[in-house]
Amino acid sequence: MLRRLAGGEQTVGELAEPFRMSVQAASKHVRVLERAGLVRRSIRGRTHRLRLDAGRLAEAQRWLSYYERFWSERLDALDALLQSEAPESSQALPPSAREESDP
Amino acid sequence: MSTSADPESGVARAVRRFAVPPARVFDAWLDPALVGRWMFAAGGDEIVHIRLDPRVGGAFSFKVRRGEQEVDHVGEYREIERPRRLAFTWGVVGDDASDGVTVDIVPLEDGCEVTVSHRMHPSWTEFAPKAAEAWATMLGALDAALAGRSSETPARTAERGA
Repeated sequence: MLRRLAGGEQTVGELAEPFRMSVQAASKHVRVLERAGLVRRSIRGRTHRLRLDAGRLAEAQRWLSYYERFWSERLDALDALLQSEAPESSQALPPSAREESDP
Repeated sequence: MSTSADPESGVARAVRRFAVPPARVFDAWLDPALVGRWMFAAGGDEIVHIRLDPRVGGAFSFKVRRGEQEVDHVGEYREIERPRRLAFTWGVVGDDASDGVTVDIVPLEDGCEVTVSHRMHPSWTEFAPKAAEAWATMLGALDAALAGRSSETPARTAERGA
């Protein structure tokens, strides 16, 4: 049934049925998931069918992982740069005292 | 160094300790002569320009060339509290949304600890926690129903199964 949910369509009633959840309560959940782009609704006549779109959650996870790596690499590079320029004293040098470097 | 990427809150984090004083780390983010040397130093990015206006409301543009493509990282500084906190928006020219980044610098006895928190655009973070939770609840109850068990606490891993 999980595969059915992921690959197929359910009405709100069908989704609610196994949970002993009212259609109303299930509808509320479904609307939140819809707004987040995780569930898509198609309407035929009076029947609303819902389809899981787990791609959006996976996509967000991918972006977060990307930025996690992005910033950790940059902090590594910043550390290497500051270590290589570390002055004897612990005072911070004002920018004008640093060498300008070409990009 | 530690990192985390939490889809529930929509925040990616990188934490690192530095053996230099907070002010040196802080200044490196706002010194155009330095930014290019650590933010785009690796991986064959060629720097086209590094421009920044280091005041609250000031804009920055860090443009690099990657092969055939030019990528312009742009944003605006929201908080500048030297040497402990820097916050700015972050996006790439051409994308619709822009994210928020904060840099928190905590002094330590022999240096400092830096935490970069990258928060995805609000259109995601507004709904992500509720969506993940709602989904976990539904799948957990579904799981229990399928197994013929009475309702149990939904498994947290159910959200990854989505």
